[in-house]
Amino acid sequence: MERQEIIKAVNSIFSSRFELEESELTEDKNLVEDLQLDSLDMVDMIVGLQQKFGIMLRDNKDIRNVRTLGDVYNLFEKLIEEHPEIVDKIK
Amino acid sequence: MFRNINSRLPSEETLGSFLMEKRRAVVTGIGVVSPLGNSASVFYEALKAGRSGIRAMTEWHGEFGKNIAGAPVSLAPAEVKAISRKVRRTMGNAALFSGVAAAQAVAQSGLDAAEFSAGRIGCVIGSTVGSASSMTEACVAEFEGRRDDLSACHFFRLMSHSSSFNVADMFGINGIQLSTNSACASGLQAVGTALELIQLGKADAVIAGGSDEATPLVASSFQLLYALAEEESAEPETLSRPFDARRQGLVCSEGAGILVVEELEHARRRGAEILFEVAGYATNCSGWHVSHSDAKQIANCMRTALDDAGIAPSEVDYVSAHATGTRVGDQAEAEAIREVLGGGVPVSSLKGHIGHTLGASGALELAAVAGMMRENLVLPTRNLEEVDDCAGILLPRTAEERELRVCLKNSIAFGGVNATLVCRRFG
Repeated sequence: MERQEIIKAVNSIFSSRFELEESELTEDKNLVEDLQLDSLDMVDMIVGLQQKFGIMLRDNKDIRNVRTLGDVYNLFEKLIEEHPEIVDKIK
Repeated sequence: MFRNINSRLPSEETLGSFLMEKRRAVVTGIGVVSPLGNSASVFYEALKAGRSGIRAMTEWHGEFGKNIAGAPVSLAPAEVKAISRKVRRTMGNAALFSGVAAAQAVAQSGLDAAEFSAGRIGCVIGSTVGSASSMTEACVAEFEGRRDDLSACHFFRLMSHSSSFNVADMFGINGIQLSTNSACASGLQAVGTALELIQLGKADAVIAGGSDEATPLVASSFQLLYALAEEESAEPETLSRPFDARRQGLVCSEGAGILVVEELEHARRRGAEILFEVAGYATNCSGWHVSHSDAKQIANCMRTALDDAGIAPSEVDYVSAHATGTRVGDQAEAEAIREVLGGGVPVSSLKGHIGHTLGASGALELAAVAGMMRENLVLPTRNLEEVDDCAGILLPRTAEERELRVCLKNSIAFGGVNATLVCRRFG
């Protein structure tokens, strides 16, 4: 799966759940400081990404340590590399 | 020892002075979300025109296997988006209705936004449940094994005080926040509680009212008790018939009524327009049955509210009844009104127009009372054609011009709860 496709899938969660414009969603954006996500939003980000990618993330330590949107893209690039079957589960 | 304790109590003189100087509360803003439109003026004009907000809920056909009448609210996307995402995310529909109505009420009152965070503004809003639709959604997710799909915000949508804390957050209110969750008396108890907080000096203004949602879960709760009007052959808009001989039960409705209740001198200093005075309030319970209305205790509640206002029964010009269209409930309320006020005071129920908005009803119907007092006009009960067991009280069939200085609003709820608010024209 190309990185651009991962970015598109991740961004769809940020657009729908947090009502952010596509133009705001760049790799360098800090989730808290730039995108104004708070603790409830961070949980909802995990819930949204779980639904989108069809995998459980709640107990994944890496997802709880992401700081920027680029970190989220990188995490999913790594997860898909390790578990290619995820691609078939993306909604 | 006793002398020392007594020395700390207020003297009779001080206590008398305190009681003499009981602070007065007035309404300076009213917001409405209703099946007949989303502002106090649109709502009142629709009632005056005799319109009905009730229709066949075809979207519920799957749940009931037949057409059930209901009175849903419609919110424009702009009304919803006007509330910031960070507040809106924790709102179920009931809290959303409260938020939209509160924004109207606060705008009309002209309260200074800087005051909200000074600790003297409160927020008291009640509903039967925080959000019936969110409750259903959570149960379905649980039963289908999809608990992990629920948003982090979901629990905040269905919590019993969801309307109250969400509206407080909308405005940055950091004073007293309460929820008067007593089913169909919730909204009126909230306004009464606002009066008491102001009288006690604990708040200078309170955003107060009620809200609720119409859902299949709620409608079926009344259906189970044979308290839902569900005759399929009848036109939906004729099904809600308070006080009428052919009444069969209530029609489930939804909405919110939110008022800005403000201490009189506080309102005067700001030069705010005063819509009416909240002159007295009482609430009690029957203490014997959760679903039967109790005429004796409804009468006691009305008398106590009048005493609280220092107003004699003979001074009452109109009663906005709770009357939902159930056989027993309407009859008991009619009996109580007859006992306290006799048969010469006009009485009407607005539930013929909009159905029963549940926890919203008390506060929402106050918006109509305010309009009636402003215009000295008694609006009739829609669909009232023939009276049998509710005879002996004055039930106008058409709108009547009449001097309205003092109006009572009743709310009667499951759990045996009664509430009466005394509204007095100001000035």
